[in-house]
Amino acid sequence: MTHGLTEAQFLNTVASFLGPYYIVLALMNGIAALYLWRSGTAKTWFSIRAGEQTFPFTSAIVWLLLAFVFIVMSPLAWSGHGAWMPSMPEWLREFVNRSTGPVVYSVGTVVLLSILFVFRRFFVNPTVAWVIWNLMLLFLGLSMTDRDFYEIVAKPDNVPIVMLVLLLAYFTWLATYRAVINDDRIARGEAPLEALDNEKILVWPDLVYTELICMIALTAFLIFWAIALPAPLEEPASSVKTPNPSKAPWYFLGLQEMLVYFDPWMAGVVLPSLIVVGLMAIPYIDFNKAGNGYYTINQRKFAYIIFQFGFLVMWITLIVLGTLLRGPNWNFFGPYEYWDAHKVEALDNVNLSQIFWERWLDRPMPTAPSGSPFAVQAGYILLRESLGIILTLGYFIALPPLMALTVFRKYYQRMGLIRFMLMANLMLFMASLPIKMVLRWVFNLKYIIAIPEWFLNF
Amino acid sequence: MADKKKLTVAEMLAAARAADSGGSAEKPAADAPTPGASAAAEGAPAAPAKPASSPAAGEPVKPATAPGGGRLSVAEMLAAARKAPAAAAPVAAKAAPAPKPKPAAAAKPAEPAAPAEPRDTASILGAARKGEKAGPMSKAEAAAKAPAPAPPKPTIVVPPMPVKPDYAKPKVAAAAKAIDDTDRRDFVGIMLAVGFWMVGIIGTLWTLLTVKFMFPNVLREPPSKFKVGFPDAFPGGQVQEKFKAQFGIWVVNAEYNGQQQIVALKSVCTHLGCTPNWLEAEQKFKCPCHGSGFYKDGINFEGPAPRPLERYAIRLADDGQIEVDKSRTFQEEMGAWTDPASFIPV
Repeated sequence: MTHGLTEAQFLNTVASFLGPYYIVLALMNGIAALYLWRSGTAKTWFSIRAGEQTFPFTSAIVWLLLAFVFIVMSPLAWSGHGAWMPSMPEWLREFVNRSTGPVVYSVGTVVLLSILFVFRRFFVNPTVAWVIWNLMLLFLGLSMTDRDFYEIVAKPDNVPIVMLVLLLAYFTWLATYRAVINDDRIARGEAPLEALDNEKILVWPDLVYTELICMIALTAFLIFWAIALPAPLEEPASSVKTPNPSKAPWYFLGLQEMLVYFDPWMAGVVLPSLIVVGLMAIPYIDFNKAGNGYYTINQRKFAYIIFQFGFLVMWITLIVLGTLLRGPNWNFFGPYEYWDAHKVEALDNVNLSQIFWERWLDRPMPTAPSGSPFAVQAGYILLRESLGIILTLGYFIALPPLMALTVFRKYYQRMGLIRFMLMANLMLFMASLPIKMVLRWVFNLKYIIAIPEWFLNF
Repeated sequence: MADKKKLTVAEMLAAARAADSGGSAEKPAADAPTPGASAAAEGAPAAPAKPASSPAAGEPVKPATAPGGGRLSVAEMLAAARKAPAAAAPVAAKAAPAPKPKPAAAAKPAEPAAPAEPRDTASILGAARKGEKAGPMSKAEAAAKAPAPAPPKPTIVVPPMPVKPDYAKPKVAAAAKAIDDTDRRDFVGIMLAVGFWMVGIIGTLWTLLTVKFMFPNVLREPPSKFKVGFPDAFPGGQVQEKFKAQFGIWVVNAEYNGQQQIVALKSVCTHLGCTPNWLEAEQKFKCPCHGSGFYKDGINFEGPAPRPLERYAIRLADDGQIEVDKSRTFQEEMGAWTDPASFIPV
């Protein structure tokens, strides 16, 4: 997109975006300050004494000052002059590039989301959330001056992902915020917030008008988007030439990431079907009647954690990974790293059967003598993959009863055999992805069961 | 209701209808009870029965009565009962459509019966099942209104089947044909037959044409057999990429199992079918979709590809050129790479 531009031309392009961007940030903070001041909800953080006068230093004033900072940053960014434009320091970019990889990214996201969850009472505080929100937007603005970052983020394909990250952060915060309030209220024996707001309104005009306005606004936004960011058309398709990197539509990038660790038959057919079927099965598996019609976390902790793990970790972060951080040859590239098609990543993936026979037993893998009948060949194949087959069967058959006897004892008693087995197997299938990811990273393991002769790999 | 004999739903509804209309309920099946019988049975008009389901407070419920006697059909009763709770609101009362007059009821002389009140089926049935009155009324009234206990069913004595007369006996073939002919004149039957024949014929045609479509007259495909040049054009260790765009193959001169061979590798990734690229600097085939990697000889070593690239059949033609045949593939995991048709030893 910025190919053929000199550094100065590139900075000019970015500047025409960043100037208005910082003004918008300033406006955002100014409006927040105005709202806090007018509604009288601004909190006094500390007071400054000047002789007889005390000057209350409220949150409204802090956001107003931040707005001024952004106002000052705007013309600097608009200058299009490398020395003046506020940008990420070089050492930080280098550090981020060198420290990130699939492992750091995936594990880091899980850790980060866990911290957010455990300390949610702190993070839902509107002041904290506003600071984080500003930091996210500031990070985006400061990173834009980096050419490689800009290439990824400003690509018309990827703009929805940037919006998705921001929107998802906001909505997850909103839901958690309400849930924390409700949990507190329930702990005090009060009704949840949603129960107070039971005033009935009419479909016409209240709902239909709202829908109409939303419809018009959304249409206007889509038209603006279509004009501002032209669809990235590529050269005519060819069956013998695959673009590099070749990416699925953004909403399937989680699946594409899954395909890196699984056979296409598993990651392309079985697991997606199980996702759909599992989501449909939730109402029948769920026996917890609490949390109907209001936000809560404490009353449905198990369901909340499982769902957020499946959605935020295994769907959203994989989409972000696939969109922004996977480059040519599906290699991992840091956010400020040049997409080098010749980046060498030394990998030598092996199957479990190879590790078992060649490394541990130190003997060649059992191979049927050529020309032997099918039954003999099948026997040899099953013998070759026996460890993987035993492990996989044990995982899906032996683990659910073990879970019922130990960790999930209460769930088993509440749910009964069939519902519990369904839930346990769905959970195990979901867990199989992170397990295989870890095995790949740690042992370079390709397949636990590898029978390419029958297109059966797991 | 002294006897505990179970009533059928029809009987219950009939009884309830009779109770509601204040008419005689002696014969549930009777369509129009005579006024005389009604008066005799009734003695005094029944007090308006409060519907069991109506709101507890004495809300004025608009009685929904069929004109001329108040015999309501089940549908009418249900409709009226549904409206009853809303009857308190004047709008609803106004909006309540008058029940459709039943012709039979209208024809019958007006009865001095008390207006019946609508009740829902459940309450009617419930009241009837309990064998109690449906509203405030005395036991005597209830007894008077209660449907007479069903008379014991007479045992049906089946008379012996009469012997079939001659004309009813199965006809001989000729007669059957005659009847068939008359049937065939039936317009609907003819149309149906024509329709099924048309469907059958068109369906057959479609099937045949679809089969024909699978075998086009002209096939614009590159030939499955083609010549790529003389063996000395492929020096050892080289991956020739120039046939990839047109034929989808790489011609590789590489060592496999200690033997130098010229092979034709199919340029389709064995993971999900993307087209890998040959990276000269790294000496490997690398798939852009999920990062599968293959050595020069086609053996998979990184990424998710579960098996090596496939080979096409290759041979030395009579004129000394290499000929590739794309109609046959050789898979390493099936042990097919030892097949002499899959390589040319150098």
